[in-house]
Amino acid sequence: MNAAYLPETLGAAVLLLASAALALYGQPDLDRKWEFLAPELEPRLSERSVYIDPAELLHLMNDDYIHLLIYDVRAESDWNEFHLVDAEHLAMEDLVRERERLRSLPENAVVVVVSNDEILATRAWKRLMAVAKPNAYILEGGLNLWLNIYGVPEEETDSHGRASMGKPDGTLRHSFKLALGERHAAAQPDEHLVPQREYTARVRLLKKLAKAGGCD
Amino acid sequence: MSAPAEKAKYWNPYLGGVLLGLLLFLSFFVTSHGLGASGGVHRIAVAIEDLVIPEHVDKTPYIARMAGGDRDPLAHWLVWEVAGIMLGGFVSGLLRGRVKLQTYRGPQITPRTRWAYAFIGGALMGYGARLARGCTSGQALSGGAVMSVGSWAFMFAVFAGGYGLAWFVRRLWQPES
Amino acid sequence: MAPFDLVALFGTTGSYLVYVAIGFAFGFILESSGFGDSRLLAAQFYFRELRVLKVMFTAITVAMILIFWSIALGWLDYDEIWVKPTYLWPGIAGGLIMGVGFILGGYCPGTSLVSVATLKLDGAFFLLGIIAGVTLFGETAGLISTFWNSGYLGIFTLPELLHLETGVVVLLVVCLALVMFAGFEWIRQKIYGKAQ
Repeated sequence: MNAAYLPETLGAAVLLLASAALALYGQPDLDRKWEFLAPELEPRLSERSVYIDPAELLHLMNDDYIHLLIYDVRAESDWNEFHLVDAEHLAMEDLVRERERLRSLPENAVVVVVSNDEILATRAWKRLMAVAKPNAYILEGGLNLWLNIYGVPEEETDSHGRASMGKPDGTLRHSFKLALGERHAAAQPDEHLVPQREYTARVRLLKKLAKAGGCD
Repeated sequence: MSAPAEKAKYWNPYLGGVLLGLLLFLSFFVTSHGLGASGGVHRIAVAIEDLVIPEHVDKTPYIARMAGGDRDPLAHWLVWEVAGIMLGGFVSGLLRGRVKLQTYRGPQITPRTRWAYAFIGGALMGYGARLARGCTSGQALSGGAVMSVGSWAFMFAVFAGGYGLAWFVRRLWQPES
Repeated sequence: MAPFDLVALFGTTGSYLVYVAIGFAFGFILESSGFGDSRLLAAQFYFRELRVLKVMFTAITVAMILIFWSIALGWLDYDEIWVKPTYLWPGIAGGLIMGVGFILGGYCPGTSLVSVATLKLDGAFFLLGIIAGVTLFGETAGLISTFWNSGYLGIFTLPELLHLETGVVVLLVVCLALVMFAGFEWIRQKIYGKAQ
C-alpha cells in the first residue's frame, strides 16, 4: 500500500479499533443503566414524587383518556388471591421484555407498578426506568393499603379487614375466604360508591422528547 | 467544464463523511433525532397548498395532520433545518465561487432534456420519500446510524434502484464512449 | 444526560435557530463535498465517482460509533433518541423508486437544496419535481394506505434482527463499509483504469 493511502488506512484502523473497543466494553446492562439514571431518578423516590395514592390510581382506572398499564410484580400465589382488575402479572425478570411495548406507548400512557407493600414495586420501578424510562409510578402503600380502603370485609377471613401498615414486610396482610383474583369487589371499586379520599395528584402526562423526528 | 477539473476543488469525501458523521452524532445528542430534508420540503409545499386551497387541505387526512385547521405546517424543526441547508450550501458555494447560474448535465444531452429528467427524477424522489417515510438524509443516514432495519433495507433499495437503471439511462450522464 | 429538551432550554424560536445551525452545517458540508453537482452524484452509479458511497457510509459509521460510545458511557440516553419504526414494504418500495429518481434526476432531496442554493437550474427543476411528487403522494395517500402501513415491525434494530450485541453489529457495519470502499474502488479501477 503506497503512501497516498496512508490517511485512509489510518482512518480505517481508527474506525475498526473504536468499534472493536465498543464491542468489548459493551452497551450498558440494566444495572449500569440505573447507575447513570440514579442522580436524576433517586430523588423521585426519596421525595416520594412517584408514589401515588390508591385513590389516584382508582381515578386513573376510571379515566377514559388515560392509557393505563398496571404491572403487578408479586408472587403468583398473591396474584391468585387478589389482584386489580386491569393489572398484568409480571415477574421481575420479565420486565426487560416489555421494552418494545414501553417504547411504543402513546403520549397519554401511564404505568403504575403495584406490590403488596412498596418494596417489590420500587425495585421493579427502578428496573422499568432502566429498561425504557416510561412514565411510571408506584402505588403508595401497595395493595395492603388499597385493601384497607377499598376492601370488602365480607370477602376476607378477618372481619375487620384491616392490615397493619406499621412494619411493611412485603407480605399480603389480607386473607380472603376464596382466591378470586380479580373477581373480588375490591379489584374494581365503584368510584362513586366508595368513600372519597383526599390526595395529592402526582401523575403528569409527559411529553416524550423523541416522539417524532426525521422526515415525517 | 469537465468533471475531473471541478472535482479537484471539493473536499476529500472521507473527510466530508467524517464531518457529516460528527454532525449527525451532534444532532442526535442535542435534538434527540437525526437529520432530515424531504419532510421540510413537503411541509413548505403543504403550506403553499394551504394558502391556496385550505378547505381541501383540511379534508385530506395525510396532510390535514400537518396543516389542517389552524395547524401551522411551518412550525416544525424540519422546515428550519431545510432553510439552514440552503443557507449553508449557499455560503459554501459563495466562498469558493461556485454560485453560478448554470445547468449541470451529462455531455450528451441538452439543458432542456436535463431539466425534464430533473423534474421527473424529483417527482419520483418526492413520492418515494413519502412512501418510505424519509429520504437519504432522514432514513438512510439517521436511521442507518441507529441501526434501524427498515433504514438499512431502504438504503440498499436505493442503491439497487439506481444501479439497476443506470445502464439504460447512461446517455444522460456518461460521455460518448 | 443528553438528549435535551431544546424548547425548554432555548424557547421555541431558540430551538428553531439550533436547527438552522444544524442545517447550515449540513448544507455546508454537502456543498463542500461536491454534492451540489448532479454529475458527480450520478457518476456513483457508473462507478466513475464514489463520493456518495464514501460520504454516506463514513458518516453512518462515524456517527454510529460516537452514538453508541456515548450511550455506553452514560452521556446519551438510548431511550430518548428517535429510532424510526420499520415499515418494511413501503420502505423498500420507496427506496427503489428513489433509486430510480436518483439516477434520472441526479439528486436527492437534501442535495437538491444545496444545488438550488448555488443557482443550478437542474437542481431547481428537481426541487419543483419534489414538490410535485410529495403533493401527489399527499393527495393519493388514502388510496395506498394499506400498503403504506404494511410490514410494520416497530422499532426494529439490526442487533435485534441478527441476535448480536450492539457493539458487535457496529463492528460488522464498519467492516462492511471498509469492504465496500475497497471493493467499489477496485471495480472503478477495473472499468476506468488507474487514471483518477
